[in-house]
Amino acid sequence: MGVGPRHVQFVARTVLVKKNNVEEGMRVLNRLMGKEGLLDRYRLTRHYEKPTQMRRRVNFEKAKAIYNEDMDRKIALVMRKNRLNPWVGSA
Amino acid sequence: MIVGASCRSRLPPFHFKEESVVNVVYLVSVLWKSVKMLRRVVARGLWSGHGAVRTSVEQRNKEIRTHQDIAAKLLVGWRSCDGFRGLHVTPSCYKTQDRKEMLASMPVKDEGTEGEVTQGLDTSLEGSGGMFPDEDTPNLLCDGVRFADLPILHARVSKNNTMLTLTDGKGMVKLYRSCGVEGFKNAKKGTNIAAQATAISLATRALNQGIKTVRVKVSGIGPGRMAAVKGLTMGGLNVVSITDDTPISFNYSQRPRKARKL
Repeated sequence: MGVGPRHVQFVARTVLVKKNNVEEGMRVLNRLMGKEGLLDRYRLTRHYEKPTQMRRRVNFEKAKAIYNEDMDRKIALVMRKNRLNPWVGSA
Repeated sequence: MIVGASCRSRLPPFHFKEESVVNVVYLVSVLWKSVKMLRRVVARGLWSGHGAVRTSVEQRNKEIRTHQDIAAKLLVGWRSCDGFRGLHVTPSCYKTQDRKEMLASMPVKDEGTEGEVTQGLDTSLEGSGGMFPDEDTPNLLCDGVRFADLPILHARVSKNNTMLTLTDGKGMVKLYRSCGVEGFKNAKKGTNIAAQATAISLATRALNQGIKTVRVKVSGIGPGRMAAVKGLTMGGLNVVSITDDTPISFNYSQRPRKARKL
């Protein structure tokens, strides 16, 4: 589906709907596509992105990724403690 | 030659009318008052700006005891613009702030992508309660019909319109409805209400033709993305699956038009 080598129709990017609960299905689909970055990619292609803008965006994303990785590691370190239940609040 | 006329008067003789004099006097007084007011306002602005700058700087300097607080010291110069817009300080300090406020006050675009950003833990997708298709899905029976042979409803969504096409399992078109066909004009086509109405109308027509169960294929982002599919169920059709078919490219096949300057 989409431009270029097509994905398998009705198998990729598909959500099965139960009892006509369309809203739930649509939300799941949107969430997955959002997480993958496909919706943002689509929004970018609506208008032409000049090479200078593309370079700025890519560099910003690289810097953000580095920061996020280091921050996640820091959080993981801080969370590491000898507790009976280290993940309080989750199932 | 006019007898008794002065050498100066090349102009027509001035008739002394009381009304006109009164008008002129009134105008002059108003102008003078407005000039005085303006002067007062400007002066106040300047003085308040100046005075406030002085007082705030003094206060801040008193607060900052240690010389180590470099960041706070740097802020002193910036903070002097806080709270009062003297005529001489307005342009430079407030440009980014005003721009942010303007962008924040603009209405939120409806893109039909509810659920895109979720807060909370990511649930494990093992099985996921039969939400995703697998290798058996094409042979699944829905109302006696194979999943792969079910009619397809293509919903093409843009920010200005929604177009719904109902085809059979192979792709032969049976019905076509869009917001324009429904009777909405111009900007009203690009709303979720129009999309819903279109979907309901198409659903009733489909039911008249004997089509009850359908799989949906959505393409694009816009107000009708969520609303159209919701409208189908409201109209009475049975939706079995939703697929996304938005054309996502990583290199432009056709160079789109340039971005709008905001």
